Amino acid sequence: MKSKVITILWPLAFGIALILAWQFGLFHKVLDLKPFQLPVPSEIASTLAANLPKALKDCGVTISGALVGMIIGSLMGFMIAAIATFFPKWGYGGMIVVTALNAVPIVALSPIMNLWFSTGMEQKIAVVTVVCMAAMAINGYSGLNNINPYSIDLMHSVAASEWTIFKKLRFPNSLPYIFTASKINIASSIIAAIISEYFAASTSGLGFGIKDNLRKAEMAMGWSYIVVASLAGVILYCVILLVERDALKWHASQK
Amino acid sequence: MNAPEIQIKNVSMVYPVNNGQDIVALTDVNLDIQEGEFISLLGPSGCGKTTLLRIIADLNQPTAGSVAIRGQSPRDIRMQRKYGIVFQNPVLYDWRTVRRNICMPMEIMGIPKKERTARINRVLELVGLQDFGDKYPFELSGGMQQRVGIARALALDPEFLFMDEPFSALDEFTREKLNEDLLSIWSKAKKTVIFVTHNIPESVFLSDRVVVLSPHPGRISAIVDINLPRPRENSIRETPEFYEYVTKIRRSFEGV
Amino acid sequence: MSVAIGKREQRIVAIVWVIGIIVVWELASFLLKYVIQDPMASAKLPYPHIVAMTFVENWKILLEAGLVTFSRAAIGFALGSSVGILLAVLMSLSKTMERIAFPYLIVSQMIPVLGLAPIIFNIVRDMNVSRIMIAAYITFFPVAVNMLSGLKSVEQEKKDLLFSIASSKFKVYQKLMLPFSMSYLFTGLKIAAPMAVTASILVDMLGSKSGIGVKILYSLYSNSSNIFWASVLTSAFMGIISFYVVVFAERLCLPWQKATPRKEGVRA
Ligand SMILES: Nc1ncnc2c1ncn2[C@@H]1O[C@H](COP(=O)(O)OP(=O)(O)O)[C@@H](O)[C@H]1O
Ligand SMILES: [Mg+2]
Repeated sequence: MKSKVITILWPLAFGIALILAWQFGLFHKVLDLKPFQLPVPSEIASTLAANLPKALKDCGVTISGALVGMIIGSLMGFMIAAIATFFPKWGYGGMIVVTALNAVPIVALSPIMNLWFSTGMEQKIAVVTVVCMAAMAINGYSGLNNINPYSIDLMHSVAASEWTIFKKLRFPNSLPYIFTASKINIASSIIAAIISEYFAASTSGLGFGIKDNLRKAEMAMGWSYIVVASLAGVILYCVILLVERDALKWHASQK
Repeated sequence: MNAPEIQIKNVSMVYPVNNGQDIVALTDVNLDIQEGEFISLLGPSGCGKTTLLRIIADLNQPTAGSVAIRGQSPRDIRMQRKYGIVFQNPVLYDWRTVRRNICMPMEIMGIPKKERTARINRVLELVGLQDFGDKYPFELSGGMQQRVGIARALALDPEFLFMDEPFSALDEFTREKLNEDLLSIWSKAKKTVIFVTHNIPESVFLSDRVVVLSPHPGRISAIVDINLPRPRENSIRETPEFYEYVTKIRRSFEGV
Repeated sequence: MSVAIGKREQRIVAIVWVIGIIVVWELASFLLKYVIQDPMASAKLPYPHIVAMTFVENWKILLEAGLVTFSRAAIGFALGSSVGILLAVLMSLSKTMERIAFPYLIVSQMIPVLGLAPIIFNIVRDMNVSRIMIAAYITFFPVAVNMLSGLKSVEQEKKDLLFSIASSKFKVYQKLMLPFSMSYLFTGLKIAAPMAVTASILVDMLGSKSGIGVKILYSLYSNSSNIFWASVLTSAFMGIISFYVVVFAERLCLPWQKATPRKEGVRA
């Protein structure tokens, strides 16, 4: 019990110290910044409070695009992993290609998607989909294939079909990997959605909000958007953690 | 009789477990070991052999009782770097070749380079790996890896040698050969050896005394003196006396 | 069934894949232009051979721009990796340090840093510095997390062996913990390298004067779609090259790794 309290207290104390240091100008002094360049927390909070409905609406636009893209991308990614698993020889080569694609800078995708899709939402979803697909494909493939060879031999010894092996062995084995990929994708989908809004024709969303407010030199408003985006990310991350804890009771990492 | 070299007094060990059902690994173990003696700790797995060895080596602290080595604490002995230990697994460092694995403890102890090289050559020959010095662990079989672990402990030329089932991963042929080699090393250097095993013939072949442990809770159930003549060679395994000892110890388990 | 695939065969399969992708792309461009008759076809999906030709014609400009972006990414990558390694070592040394830092490590990932680019630029007022800073920020997380997971994966018996000869803490780190974690570190570096490149390109696009990101934006707005696609391709190569540079470095540094490819790393 005591250790649990400490686990929460230490980081909390650190966080409060950080915010206080920021509020009372320590960062400004160290980094030689003017208050208008880096607004203090109280100013960000009051700006956010005053513009809460608009911030939430913009946040909703970005997060919904990010989530839809993430779901489509994850499904597609897992399907790629599954297909590659059923056709091991050619699938392995395909996975090398996917690994290479994973290294492609996502920002380069935004302008291309702007050519292909007309509305801001479609563009956003398209960018997020591609970004999430690779991580899920790579992790899913590892999960479906990093299997103790003996368990596969055991399956073969009872003449199980490839489909049965997939259902009973490969898929459960891949669950922890799927969650790892989902945790990666939560962060990258929000970032991808925001970046796509920088370049797309949209006039709503966190990315647009940040860009627009900075153009108008409304720093505090820009920062409150960032706070909202980070909070949304943390909340979604926690949701994934909770689902994971429920779904993976059997797994060693949960003990 | 001299004061015992290692004196184990009323040692108990309880591992706390989260669900409240603490595991009693050892209860009230008493044992005196003489200088230069070859002692085997014998018993089925889970009876606390490793735990006892680790307590003597100061790697675990007993929950009750004490261990004295030459009148000092195990910690003092460890700080003076007086013992060498061989674990159940080879415990090799993947990024170092065989030679550099053997070298590692000597580096830390600050033994000069020339001396290190000489010792490495000697122990490599002893364990029959002279042609594998520059290989990485992943290039060796399990048995070869284990021999590197043994060579590493021998290279320190320690006063005490603690070995935890060092040969259990080896095939019968290699095991018997290494048994013989170990005895010849021991008879030359007269180290005090504590040797953990679950193999009855092995314990009889090697030891002056076999300490039989039994599980749940772990305790000493018998101590058998092995009065076979030394030096022993593998042919001794075929003698009726050897067979008698093996049978006697096996019977002592059936009684449990 | 697990099919044993030879190294040679693997390579052939990969090459066939690449050729296949190019062929499909050619076909798709053809369909878009002549079958669907999209008026924007040559911008939406130009023929790969035309992109390749543009690439060859403009290789000098593209290479120059790419190098500017790449070098900033590399500096940020080096900086971020050092911070990440340091942080991981500190966290492994002190439980309190880990308690304090780890939650923030995760939270830091949720802050859309790439989204922060304009703000950081606003603060430091120097394109190169903000490029390096952002690349460093992106890099440090995967490096720190993977390095820490490496430091925590050292088997107890390996530590016991050094403990048994009364090694100092410093020696334990020097001889055991750090070398052991190298393969984990490289996993983190492999994840981080393309991310650093991405960060550097993004900062280009947000108002730099040079770099491949600028080429992408300019060509986009000036409707020179071939240059645009060639630039995008260049940036894709940069990401892939950065990945393989780390792979190559790993081969060089960790020769004992050959036989045991490690499982994928921790990213979030
Ligand atoms: N670190 C530990 N935590 C909890 N229980 C342990 C630990 N180490 C050993 N045990 C338990 O203590 C008992 C004795 O273990 P051990 O000394 O390893 O036996 P042996 O070496 O004879 O096989 C076993 O029941 C084992 O499960
Ligand atoms: Mg044991």
